[in-house]
Amino acid sequence: MGILVVAEHRQGKIQDPTWEVLGKAGEVAVSAHTEVKAVLMGDAVSDLASELARYPVNEVLVVEDPRLKDYTPEGYGAALAALLEHEEAELVLTSHTATGYEFLPRVAADMDRPLVTAAMDVSLVDGLVVATRTGYNGKVAVEIAMEGGGPAFVTLRPATFTPPEPGPKRAPVTPVDVDLSALQIRREVQGYEKPESEDVDIAEADVVVTVGRGIKKKENIRLAEDLAAALGGVVGASRPIVDNGWLPRSRQVGSSGKTVAPKLYVACGVSGAMQHLTGMKGSQTIVAINIDPTAPIFSVAHYGAIGDLLEIIPSLLRELEKA
Amino acid sequence: MNVVVCVKQVANPELQYRIRDDALDIVRDNLTFQVNGPDEYALEEAVRLREAHGGKVTAIAAGPERVTEVLRQAMAKGADEAIRVDLPDGREFDPSYTGQTLAQAIQALDVDLVLCGVQSDDYAHGATGPILASHLGIPHASVVTRVEVEDDRVRVNRELEGGLEERVTLPLPALLTIQFGINEPRFASVAAILKATRQSIQEVTAASAEGASRLTVRRMYIPEVTQQAEMLEGSVDEVARRLAAILREKGLVPEG
Repeated sequence: MGILVVAEHRQGKIQDPTWEVLGKAGEVAVSAHTEVKAVLMGDAVSDLASELARYPVNEVLVVEDPRLKDYTPEGYGAALAALLEHEEAELVLTSHTATGYEFLPRVAADMDRPLVTAAMDVSLVDGLVVATRTGYNGKVAVEIAMEGGGPAFVTLRPATFTPPEPGPKRAPVTPVDVDLSALQIRREVQGYEKPESEDVDIAEADVVVTVGRGIKKKENIRLAEDLAAALGGVVGASRPIVDNGWLPRSRQVGSSGKTVAPKLYVACGVSGAMQHLTGMKGSQTIVAINIDPTAPIFSVAHYGAIGDLLEIIPSLLRELEKA
Repeated sequence: MNVVVCVKQVANPELQYRIRDDALDIVRDNLTFQVNGPDEYALEEAVRLREAHGGKVTAIAAGPERVTEVLRQAMAKGADEAIRVDLPDGREFDPSYTGQTLAQAIQALDVDLVLCGVQSDDYAHGATGPILASHLGIPHASVVTRVEVEDDRVRVNRELEGGLEERVTLPLPALLTIQFGINEPRFASVAAILKATRQSIQEVTAASAEGASRLTVRRMYIPEVTQQAEMLEGSVDEVARRLAAILREKGLVPEG
């Protein structure tokens, strides 16, 4: 019995959220006196297996098959289900990424096992998995018991747990033969693309002034532009602003846009959805201007200005002009 | 091209919520409801596919009687038919339950493509689509930002982290979860809204998915915001003055 962590990899690289999941899995395993095994699915992935083995896991299980060369929900689902016939586990974890929440719910449904996604905490006590997540737009926390185990499937919210450091020890790497003869992958992977842009690169800027829903009108973005100019920075946007077409996609900060870590980040009317916080919380100094003192942005901000940004920014501009 | 689009009615995400005394659910008095944001994009994509390829769009929602509101809105924006699958309130935390309930109603339909919003504005599971695809036994793709149907296949772009997109194709029938911003949802005309009030909505009672449910709420609570920010409060000018001083102290204001 133990905890399995499904590693996410793409284009020859383990994806960062996987390390965070390993960190949390290690914590749960210590308190539950059980083991953590990393699961790597792919084709010719021995380099990645060795990399995983440097982290604090008891074993790296590798399922290799040419049909697993490209990630597909069907391939991962079949391989993981087949692996679970050999490996008894109480808990299967992966990260809540566009990949993690694409395949893990499907596997849980295929196997008729309990599922919680985007958990911000998980525990394993006497064989019972309890996961905590938020609901109602992050305003309510829900502690959920996952009955029936065998195993429970959980995706963990990114940017929530601390990744472990690699150590001098090497965990054993074990190839696992699973029967994938019945596997039919209907999805074809054509490749990847990164939409090119000639716009400024907000990830390169020292100062980013980001506008969120609180800016209210497209015309008001001018205020943020003036503030960015006064601070020698550029204007970024939260997702709703980009979806409204008020600023180009190249300006979007967050896990679905760009990750930024400037010297100064000024969030203007950004409430701070998790995917936004993920993309900016590494900034050196974070200032948030928001009318709602309970907005999640204040959980990562260093300075919070409570009030109407349509009044605060003009006043701040006047202050900055004073010599 | 028969497209089924799943629409969810969610409690208004801007509300302040209270927890019931037994800490097992929210207080449900005085809630207001609206259509789930990403589902509007899924509906628009479905209507565009029908405009391009013919066929029909069926909107389906699981929930109590009041979810007929979002189905009428869907019809006003172009859905041809609507189905409500009865689902009592109180299991929003469990996408496996919702997925199984929706699957029972969709299994009876002749479907080429099922579209869902990428996630919901209340719980953001991101899971109901994949669970539904599992029950229907069809391939799926999540976080879709582009849809092109060619004969019996659909080509899609999936949005990954860091601005990367993956291009995949799936044979039909298939299920896609649609990302925000894939299109510009249309507004309903007054005439269409009026017409939708007269259209009938099919009611389906699914067998209880109780047996499929393996989740139990132990406790609900209002999370503490771990506020580490130094809060600047006062009049607008006081806040601005203090903020300017902090930025200057930190050498973050360019000189001259």
